[in-house]
Amino acid sequence: MKKILSLVLAVLMIAGCCAALSSCGKSNTIKIGMSGPLTGDAAVYGKAVQNSADMAIKEINDNGGLNGIMLELLPYDDQAKSENVQTNYASMIEAGVQVSLGCVTTGAGMEFTALSKDDNLFFLTPSATGDEIPQNPNGYQMCFADSNQGGEAAKYVNSLNLSHIGILYRSDDAYSTGILKQFKENLNSNITYTEASFTTNQPTDLSAQIDLLKDCTFIFCPIYYTPAATFMLQAKDKIAKDAVYYGCDGFDGIESAEGFDISTIPQKISMLSHFDSKATEGLAGDYVKKYTETYGKDTLNQFGASAYDCVYAIFGAMKKAVEAGKEITAETSAYELCEILKEQFNGDYTFSGVTGTNVTWQSSGYVTKEAKYVVIKEVNAN
Amino acid sequence: MNRIAAFFKKPFIRRYANYLVIGAAALIFGLLSVTGALSMSNQFLLEQISIAVLLAVSLSMVVGFLGELSLGHAGFMCVGAYLGGKIASLLVSAMGVGESNFLVLILSLLIGGAVAALFGFIIGLPALRLRGDYLAIVTLAFGEIVRSVLMNLPSELFGGTLGLKTPRFTRQYLFIIALVLVLACLAVTQNLIRSKHGRAIISIKDNEIAARAMGIDVTKYKLFVFTISSFFAGVAGVLYSYTQSTVQSATFDYNYSIEILVMVVLGGMGSINGSMIAAALITFLNVKLQSVLKGDMAVLKDVIYALILILIVIYKNAPGLSAFREKYNFKTLTAKLFKKKETVSKNGDTVPVVQEEAKDE
Amino acid sequence: MDFINALINGLSLGGTYAMIAIGYTMVYGIAKMLNFAHGDIIMVGGYAMYVTLLLVGQPIVALIAAIVFCVILGVCVERFAYKPLRGASPLAVLITAIGVSSLLQSLAQIAFGSAPKMLMAVQISGTVTLGSIHIAYYTILTLALTVVIMVAMTLFVKYSKPGRAMVAVSEDRDAARLMGINTNAIIAITFAIGSALAAVAGYCMLIKSPTLTNTLGAMPGIKAFTAAVIGGIGSIPGAMLGGIVLGVIEAISLSIPGLAPFTDAVEFGILIIILLVKPAGLLGKARREKV
Repeated sequence: MKKILSLVLAVLMIAGCCAALSSCGKSNTIKIGMSGPLTGDAAVYGKAVQNSADMAIKEINDNGGLNGIMLELLPYDDQAKSENVQTNYASMIEAGVQVSLGCVTTGAGMEFTALSKDDNLFFLTPSATGDEIPQNPNGYQMCFADSNQGGEAAKYVNSLNLSHIGILYRSDDAYSTGILKQFKENLNSNITYTEASFTTNQPTDLSAQIDLLKDCTFIFCPIYYTPAATFMLQAKDKIAKDAVYYGCDGFDGIESAEGFDISTIPQKISMLSHFDSKATEGLAGDYVKKYTETYGKDTLNQFGASAYDCVYAIFGAMKKAVEAGKEITAETSAYELCEILKEQFNGDYTFSGVTGTNVTWQSSGYVTKEAKYVVIKEVNAN
Repeated sequence: MNRIAAFFKKPFIRRYANYLVIGAAALIFGLLSVTGALSMSNQFLLEQISIAVLLAVSLSMVVGFLGELSLGHAGFMCVGAYLGGKIASLLVSAMGVGESNFLVLILSLLIGGAVAALFGFIIGLPALRLRGDYLAIVTLAFGEIVRSVLMNLPSELFGGTLGLKTPRFTRQYLFIIALVLVLACLAVTQNLIRSKHGRAIISIKDNEIAARAMGIDVTKYKLFVFTISSFFAGVAGVLYSYTQSTVQSATFDYNYSIEILVMVVLGGMGSINGSMIAAALITFLNVKLQSVLKGDMAVLKDVIYALILILIVIYKNAPGLSAFREKYNFKTLTAKLFKKKETVSKNGDTVPVVQEEAKDE
Repeated sequence: MDFINALINGLSLGGTYAMIAIGYTMVYGIAKMLNFAHGDIIMVGGYAMYVTLLLVGQPIVALIAAIVFCVILGVCVERFAYKPLRGASPLAVLITAIGVSSLLQSLAQIAFGSAPKMLMAVQISGTVTLGSIHIAYYTILTLALTVVIMVAMTLFVKYSKPGRAMVAVSEDRDAARLMGINTNAIIAITFAIGSALAAVAGYCMLIKSPTLTNTLGAMPGIKAFTAAVIGGIGSIPGAMLGGIVLGVIEAISLSIPGLAPFTDAVEFGILIIILLVKPAGLLGKARREKV
């Protein structure tokens, strides 16, 4: 019993350090909050968002910021778990965050959506695709919503004259099941399908799933790219060499995994996405080049590209509002800033960036932009 | 200082010091919250601490007093959170009342707790046949089964992977209710442990066969402890569902059960106050680390937490360090600090701890 | 034929579980502790392989390097985190093991970043076809390695001097010390063997699917723990049997689409049933407790 006291001492010490750390620094900046998985098995997505948002903010600040007011990113770690979002949200509000990127993943994002409603904290999420994420007036998405992606994917599949397809999905993930649900609802009833599922973001062995899908020549995979790469590597000899893997935006980044040589996969890989990590031209090309130079290739994916756009979209909207006579300073409250930004996003504000040109938003928070059909890799010829 | 110490040494105060501290915390923070002086992060922190304390105290019944290892405590919490949350949302829409309805909260707490208790009873049955780590793995298995089944049931029932939408109670008051529930849980467990039945339960931990030979109904007591313990875990679950907008089954994985176990073990086996303090401090530490270590520093959170865990456990338990412990511990250090020669009585030392803890919240 | 293929997939899954479980069960039997960090030793072995591959490029050299590194790490962890607690409550050791597990995962992320590494040089593809049955090379290799290790370990424990000392230590540590056995050395050897097996298990996982992350060992570690319990903790053939049983159940459950999302529930449900029928596991010895 008495030994607990040692614990107390240790904790007090830590708490002291924490307090000392958090109290330092009060600056003339507009604070942008973000909550995402920076550790744990989904960390690669959260890190991409953090890095890209940082990169965009640095660029903006180097160019003079918002009429001299700098931007600052406050990235918090939620390990993609909803129960951690409360703490992050409270920390954000108390640190004076005025505008935010919401959450990186859908599951955690649901909590952020509920919490931010009361404070009217504006958020534009780069990658939480859930349909209900922007249900409140203060929430917007930079990525396509699940219903949109699932519906579009089904439309594409319907147009292919297939009679049977395979589906590989992750059963414990809101993104994967969300898209799949919409996909099935929109799929032509004469197309039959075989389903296989796995759990966790990093399955170690997918032979059982591959066995189920081995006779399929078209496989729809609404999953993130880490498990997708595992699947493709394990399936390369077992699934027909001319089969097609078709995914959604979570597929993007598949080539960037360190040591993954995509040319050894014989099958065709394609996706419906708003971004292509292979881009060499235009804004997307510049982003890819700069990101790779700064942070390396292995966290390059659409999560980051979308976050990069989120920062610029928010910045653009603020700039436009200021031009229209609104006043935005480092002291503008989250509530006021949200009203200003909402007016822009619901109005005629259009944005062109890495993940799309002439992007607009509906008042429901959903994004309107063009989805690209991207072929990551054709069938190997031999 | 001496007068305060003397006050806390009175037998009556010593016996109920833990109630007093929690009650005082509820009162003070409650007043602060009602007047709007308590920040959002502190309201969340108090909610989280209350839930952790409920879980730790209830698990301490099984692990600390009955002597059985359970790795599935989060499973009972999961049952409570889903069932209680479902009942609450059904009641809210059926009765046409607001989300922060006190009656609905009480009903769902009772029902969620009762269903969890039922599961506790069912899991208690194998406990009669299995020992030690074999029982531990059955409880772990139970936790994982509950989680997997609740997530994969049709989303109309329990929300599927997106989670079950549950009502959220007004933040300003919820932690007060939570602290009152902690008091209730404390009253039940402490009185149970100090009763004839409590002594019977402890005797099962010390030696089951001897206890049986003394005429103690081991079967009855084991089932009883599992049921009570999971009732409070279920209550903690319902409370959790009220702090969140959705309940997601990914929360209740085995890591969560292990975290509760860590609280109980660090607090000292068979010490309710120890479990409570450890639960409060660990939650506090986790929350503070999470909010302070941003961005690239986030990865240090687990490193710091793990190192503290390892060092404390070694310091507390290593047989080789007993001489070191005698020389450097809180008591001798504070005694030196206040230049007091007398040693504080064994029970009295909980009081300064709780004071410290209350201060930094 | 689908069923037979599912069975074969189960063998491939189960072989890996079995190999991890053998290490688990040995450590448990001798040190009497649940080593929750065992799975993370696998992950560290994977990163050791990754670094060696960058330097040398030879998978076999990488495997040897991983084994050496894991043995050193395992012995160090035992020395600094577990040995000071010898004689303390087993739960205290369990907590340090949890601490070590999360420490290793975080350090790996600090050292190697959050993005997965693909160790394609290690991957073994290709299948043997017998009629309509396909068996992958990695399945054969994994099973062969597991059987060899199981037999070797059983013989080692039965006939060699340190092996017999292990049995003695696991039966009664104090009596073993009185008989002149250096119990600390024996426990260290056990950790060394367990960690070496973890490295080999990591190799078996990576030849199947070469995705390496800092959480590589977490879930397989828990599954292997389950397998060790099914087989009867402390029994080496039991661990093998438990691993295979678990793998086959998992593969069959995954191959039924409606049931696939419930696979974890099915696995753990069967575990509970097995334990209710045989409370000490399939091959475990039930001990009578005395006052």
